[in-house]
Amino acid sequence: MSFIPGQPVTAVVQRIEIQKLREGDNLILGFSIGGGIDQDACQNPFSEDKADKGIYVTRVSKGGPAEVAGLRIGDKIMQVNGWDMTMVTHDQARKRLTKKKEDVVRLLITRKSLEETVRQSMMQH
Amino acid sequence: MPIDRLADMEEKLRILEDLNMIYIRQIALSLKDSDIQKKIDYEIRMREGACKLLAACSQRDQALEASKSLLTCNARIMAYMSELQRMKEAQVMQRIARRSSDTGPMDDRSPCKGKVAISDLRIPLMWKDTEYFKNKGELHRCAVFCLLQLGGEIFDTDMVMVDRTLTDICFDNTIVFNEAGPGFELRVELYSCCSEEDYSAGSTPRKLASKLSSSLGRSTGKKIKAGLEPGACSPTSNGGGATILLPVPSVPGPKYHLLAHTTLNLSHVQDSFRTHDLTITGNEECSYWLPLYGSVCCRLAAQPHCMTQQMMSGCLRVKLGGEPQGWTNVYGVLKGTNLFCYHQKEDMEASVEPVLTIGINKETRIRAAEKDPHSKAQNICITNQYGGEEVTHTLAADSREDTQHWMEAFWQQFYDMSQWRQCCDDLMKIELPSPRKPAIVTPKQGSLYHEMVIDASDDIGTVTDILARRIEEFELRTQLESPPHWMSLFAEDPPRTPLNRQHLPPHSPSPRLHSRQPRSPRCHRTPGLLSSNASLTSDSDSPASASPCFRQAWSPNTSSSSGHFRPRTLSLDAKLSTLRFRCACQPPTAGSVSPRPAQTALSCSSSTSSSSSSEGSNSQESDLGFSRPSSARRSLRNLRAKLDPRNWLQSQV
Repeated sequence: MSFIPGQPVTAVVQRIEIQKLREGDNLILGFSIGGGIDQDACQNPFSEDKADKGIYVTRVSKGGPAEVAGLRIGDKIMQVNGWDMTMVTHDQARKRLTKKKEDVVRLLITRKSLEETVRQSMMQH
Repeated sequence: MPIDRLADMEEKLRILEDLNMIYIRQIALSLKDSDIQKKIDYEIRMREGACKLLAACSQRDQALEASKSLLTCNARIMAYMSELQRMKEAQVMQRIARRSSDTGPMDDRSPCKGKVAISDLRIPLMWKDTEYFKNKGELHRCAVFCLLQLGGEIFDTDMVMVDRTLTDICFDNTIVFNEAGPGFELRVELYSCCSEEDYSAGSTPRKLASKLSSSLGRSTGKKIKAGLEPGACSPTSNGGGATILLPVPSVPGPKYHLLAHTTLNLSHVQDSFRTHDLTITGNEECSYWLPLYGSVCCRLAAQPHCMTQQMMSGCLRVKLGGEPQGWTNVYGVLKGTNLFCYHQKEDMEASVEPVLTIGINKETRIRAAEKDPHSKAQNICITNQYGGEEVTHTLAADSREDTQHWMEAFWQQFYDMSQWRQCCDDLMKIELPSPRKPAIVTPKQGSLYHEMVIDASDDIGTVTDILARRIEEFELRTQLESPPHWMSLFAEDPPRTPLNRQHLPPHSPSPRLHSRQPRSPRCHRTPGLLSSNASLTSDSDSPASASPCFRQAWSPNTSSSSGHFRPRTLSLDAKLSTLRFRCACQPPTAGSVSPRPAQTALSCSSSTSSSSSSEGSNSQESDLGFSRPSSARRSLRNLRAKLDPRNWLQSQV
């Protein structure tokens, strides 16, 4: 998932729709994110390219809405409800995921295994 | 209203920018040149990214780097746009010339292009001896970098921090320009930016107020004045006219200023280091001033293509020494200062030694001889001086056209050599810069003592806390590598479940401790989490009931735990447990208004020991782990931890 700055990014993405769970006054999604352009990307254990400042899923709580929807640990979030997440600060990312007025978030995520899957399925034909 | 006028100006600038882009696109379209268009688009994207980064980053280093790339992008955009304009002008002139129809076909011979490389830039500084040996007083630091421009190519060097402990500014980069003509002009510009305090417009009034309350020193006054100067910053070095063409978006943050410049050309090219003069702009009053000695040393090398590439190759016949009448078929390759003759083409590809090597240099004389009575084509005679003796080789091509081509190639070679002059004596070596590696990931270790910020009133809690955090960081890495040797210091607990040391993910310290603590009535966690079987529960710190959006420092898989870590001394152990007890019972005081229930205290303390590096934010604050006596210091610590770049923030959503 390396990228060249300035060039458009292409990736194999998966659509994931998460229904937020209401917990009293809060709406939770059930996962944690890490990363952002204001963060130190070298400490990201999930990224292949240690210069990648994207938003990554660092933890998925068991049985939570995210896990049910198919989100996995180590996924990189590319878009949230149409908003780009590849060039945002950590706080902006968090805010875009936790809007109170939205009950559902549609994510575009990418992970290494997706590319392999696509490649393998193409090879079969 | 000045504010309205500012907004108005910005609006006008934006419109101007859009118009300029349309204009540029029109030119590019009419020239049918999409290459430059793509480059401009790329640079504009890079510029937007740099602006975003500049607006978002909080670290001074990051801001300086982003500002540097912004400046480079701007310079490149300017260069591309001027090139577009030039091409358009040339096209228009050509059309006019064609219409006038009095110019015959121009038969100018154009010299070949080449590679020009500049490396090992070194700029000596000239501090006053008083400054150099000064021990007190603030260190006047500047961030500097060089911008190198040749033709349409612009490169920047890495940024170097300069203070009075340096005697020279050294740039290690090797910059290679391809496609440079012999009449090239390499412009070297040195930009610098004062890197002491943040003198952005926003903070100036506050700083002024604080400074005015105390006394203003002379140097501080100078700096403030420079910071307040409105027109002091000009992100691009080009003249004012070019700035209007594509006005630069004004962004907050550090701005670089041109400190010195010089122009190098072919006469400066040499295969060794040379010193050149610098023209210094700016004076002592500027904030970005550095005492330059006035010269720059560098190695400027050039490799014209006539020296590195095959200019001509083909089949020839040559009269070799022993046989006066016999011709030998060879495959000739004209490259650099030699004409290599191989037996066959495959020999050259296989790097076999050539049968014959004829030197072609400034001393060589080549002429076409009279027609050989045997063949129709002319012979080519190459005469060289080898140590006082004249040696003539006679070659013949297969056909008249080939002879013509060869002669043409020889004339071109001579022309190139006359244009490139000293570069054609010998091939200058150019080291290709190694492909840029991503920044080396040095685990941010250092000694433990560097990490510890121990106040007088801080207690053992800090030490164990930091130690535990370090352990976790290391254990993260042990997932991938073998654990550091000092881990053996910590005796292994008889684990409840057989756990291999190698596979241990980070954990919370000593689950036994948790079981000793009475549960705080505020804790909403499920009982199983606090029990001593916390060893391998996978969701011990991320239950659905936990307060959402609390932040914790880097600690993946904190859920799994083991009896791996044990505080060393019994007293430490006791202190640790008492502290946890205290933390558990102490009501978590939220420093700011928090709409969400603050039940996070105990839940987090059982999960991760990296508690003191928790981050708070304005919207919610969770006091994790060891509590500080005063909430004010806690919030300060949270803020400091949040801004600490060593922590890789994670947020729960």
